[in-house]
Amino acid sequence: MIFPDVSWAAIAPEIALVAGAVAILLVDVQWKPEPRVLGGIVALSVVAAAVLSVGQWFRLDTPSDITIPFGGMIAFDRVSVLARFVLLAVTAMGVAGGWRLFERLGRRAAEALALVLLATVGFSFMASSIHLVMIFLGLEVGSISLYVLAGITRERPDSDEAAMKYFLLGSFASAVFIYGVALLFAGTGRLALLGQRAFLDANIVTRPAVLLIGMALVIVGLGFKVSAAPFHTWAPDVYQGAPAGVVGFMAAGAKIGGFAALTRILFTGFPLMADEWASVVAIISALSMGIGVVLALVQDDVRRMLAYSGVAHAGFILTGVVAGAAAEPGIWFYLAAYTIQLVAGFAIVAAVTGSAAGRSGLDAFAGLAVRSPFLAAAFTVTLLGMAGIPLTSGFVAKFGVFVSAWQAGFSWLVIVAVLASVVAFGVYLRVIVVMYMREPGEAASPTPSTAARWMLVAATVSTILFGVLPQPLLDLARNAFSV
Amino acid sequence: MLTWLILTPVVGAAVVALLPRRRPELYLPVGVALSLIPLALAGVLFFEFETGEAGFQFLQQALWYEPLGISYRVGVDGISLGLIVLTAVLVPISLAASTSIDRRVKEFVVYILLLEAGLFGVFVALDLFLFFVFFEAILVPMYFIIGIWGGERRIYAAVKFFLYTAVGSALMLAAIIALAVMHARQTGAPSFDFADLLALDLSPSTQRWLFAAFGLAFAIKVPIFPLHTWLPDAHVEAPTAGSVLLAGVLLKLGTYGFLRFNLTLFPQATVDLVTVLAVLAVVGIIYGGLVAIVQPDLKKLVAYSSVSHLGFIVLGTFALTSGGLQGGVIQMINHGLTTGALFLLVGMIYERRHTKKIADFGGLAKVMPVYAGFFLFMAFASIGLPGLNGFIGEFLVLVGSFATLPVYAVIAAFGVILAAVYLLWAYERVFTGVPDKPENQRLVDLSGREIAILAPLVVLVLVLGLYPKVLLDKVAPSTEAILDRIEQTTDFQVPEPGRLADVFVAEGEGR
Repeated sequence: MIFPDVSWAAIAPEIALVAGAVAILLVDVQWKPEPRVLGGIVALSVVAAAVLSVGQWFRLDTPSDITIPFGGMIAFDRVSVLARFVLLAVTAMGVAGGWRLFERLGRRAAEALALVLLATVGFSFMASSIHLVMIFLGLEVGSISLYVLAGITRERPDSDEAAMKYFLLGSFASAVFIYGVALLFAGTGRLALLGQRAFLDANIVTRPAVLLIGMALVIVGLGFKVSAAPFHTWAPDVYQGAPAGVVGFMAAGAKIGGFAALTRILFTGFPLMADEWASVVAIISALSMGIGVVLALVQDDVRRMLAYSGVAHAGFILTGVVAGAAAEPGIWFYLAAYTIQLVAGFAIVAAVTGSAAGRSGLDAFAGLAVRSPFLAAAFTVTLLGMAGIPLTSGFVAKFGVFVSAWQAGFSWLVIVAVLASVVAFGVYLRVIVVMYMREPGEAASPTPSTAARWMLVAATVSTILFGVLPQPLLDLARNAFSV
Repeated sequence: MLTWLILTPVVGAAVVALLPRRRPELYLPVGVALSLIPLALAGVLFFEFETGEAGFQFLQQALWYEPLGISYRVGVDGISLGLIVLTAVLVPISLAASTSIDRRVKEFVVYILLLEAGLFGVFVALDLFLFFVFFEAILVPMYFIIGIWGGERRIYAAVKFFLYTAVGSALMLAAIIALAVMHARQTGAPSFDFADLLALDLSPSTQRWLFAAFGLAFAIKVPIFPLHTWLPDAHVEAPTAGSVLLAGVLLKLGTYGFLRFNLTLFPQATVDLVTVLAVLAVVGIIYGGLVAIVQPDLKKLVAYSSVSHLGFIVLGTFALTSGGLQGGVIQMINHGLTTGALFLLVGMIYERRHTKKIADFGGLAKVMPVYAGFFLFMAFASIGLPGLNGFIGEFLVLVGSFATLPVYAVIAAFGVILAAVYLLWAYERVFTGVPDKPENQRLVDLSGREIAILAPLVVLVLVLGLYPKVLLDKVAPSTEAILDRIEQTTDFQVPEPGRLADVFVAEGEGR
């Protein structure tokens, strides 16, 4: 029996996260500490993972420096490290932003925090894997953690409903994905992405039907995870039903993991079939943008609005995917900018309408500018960032993927995208109107937790900073890719 | 220098934002004082500007994002110089006129100063990415200014304003991306630099598409008929300062954009599409004038008069003659001064009577003689009475467009008459006769502060009316350069009486 080569360095950050999750569960059983102690453990393991990732980044000399330990399951390269950075930032901000929820959960806080860490591990593996089976394992670890998180406030029926819906549809999507993987295996005889690429390099596939169906199913499965239309129907209900404190993390983590896997599969495994998948992805992208912005426009619940706007953003990111590997730095800039805004947005929703509540009606935001100028200003910057107004990171992000798509010849898609952005302005302006131009009702002034406050400051500053000076982050992203 | 011009209002906004909450009476005076710094800078700019040079001056450049060819490049030429000074003049004035803003004053001052920074940015940007950033970013403060401090239907007006203008600029973004990608195809590297893009070789059909995309964005801003419907709403609902800056400067973004980008980047398309734009401009002139006549609301009347006046600017621009282009540029400044002043005057009477309905007034000249004097002066300037600034601009436009578009020029001349009709008729209804309404009899005349606000505008109107050479000499080389470029890159030749540079530029200073 050949024992696969082991590289602890490649998976050290994930080990730190798993150790954190295990420690939380053990400590909780033994000492039943306050949630803040558990929060400390989360912070510790996230910081440890981040430090280890920085170490990995410098250990890898060039963008093209790639080793594939564990029998070709894991890719040890800068792409994985970059994805993990974004993921860790989102995890830390998600936990900080929803901290009130974890305090309220009391005895269940340990479960919830451990699940957050495990979900991070799952998505991190999705990003760093270069083998279809490993991608599937990461997907399942992440997804199952999220199903449970969605229902963590189990005393509320709509939380239960959200968890159930997410679980059923999510499992179905996983099944679709794994069926696609099976067909890709049938078509190429390989499961490792590099192997599949080599196979397509060396052979001419005369009847590619199996491959095409397999690829379509893989795109559908991951399209569900990133809530691209028409596979988005679960998102509004889950975003609304799940406790506000964790939705931000759930949505952001799933998007990062999903896009990491999608780009890895399409760009690494099947660049030679780009003509076939690009047009499919372009149609999904256009549908997502169109359906997302139009339905977001008519929502009266801020969380459903953010859910549909998330569908639209999936579409915007897909315009970059269409353009192929050259767009990868742009895609990751977009993911970083958007997911940070996403967790910030939900942190504010949680602060305003309650971290466990199931409704976040637009009325709850009336006159927020008077009741809490800080939250209103932070939400405004976040929403303008999502809208892609210049001088925010959202604009640089949109601009980057649009340029790539135009260069790749998808000018029609860019025109659809800019028009969708205009409708999206309307979506976000509605909320700003309510915050600044409506009189406050009887509602009390919301007070976010200290952790949430700092997290919002960080998110707001980064949104503006990377909007004005995008160069450092873009350079970082470019350094991860050999384009 | 130009970077400071953009930064000082931003710093000013930060200073105002940090003022203590307990001293709300400080916000406005500090805001006015801080906005005098960019005004001083603009003054220095104006006098340091090398007259007779066609190119960009005070150039500054820094790499912003290299792989995409995006750089921070700013510069000023004769076309943008006047608009910068206009912006710098109007901001302190409109702030000083905003004493009736009674809530959230701090935010108001901050938004106005941020708006000023954005406007400077648009006029100095020489990189299309940078231009777009400012062009779009301006919407945000203006949106808040209308939406928070506006009239009854302010939210509707603010959202309409934002979305209307955003539609246009979205397609312009696509066109900008297209230009950069074409630059990458032709030279190997993408670039958003205006000078680089001028060197592009574009087929006529490509030019037409891109012209349309840019043109839509600018046409909505101007606004060119039939894209003007956002304007009356935005103007009527906006607070006085908002209206002044909207009419005074924001509308000029459209005409400036046409002149700066459409004419130079897409000369062939410009020549091909002259008729379309000329028709729309003339329709705008006549339509705006006719609608202004029947407005029962004084502010709406001034708003529709803008549609008419900006039609002149567009007509002049697309006449493609020396007179037309110079007249267009001069008229941008003139319209900013006179319409800005008219909006200030309407705001002043509104603060006293809380109505803008013409029918509610009558005989005000007896009660408020000074006010009536200022109003009549500005109305005459707007109509184009010789000796005042409006005359120079409209005369140049009409003379210039007669050379290439005689029929349109003749029709447009009726617009001048219409202007006399709607403004003088409004003056008659508001000011002459006996003040028979008791509310009107107790009105107090302008205070010293209000006179001080209006005085600089009166001075500028007189200066530009009597001695337009100060500005024309700086404008002419830049507009001539645009015509040169069009003549060199297309078959179009400006007909003989069209290049009247020697007549309008004083002897010895012609090209």
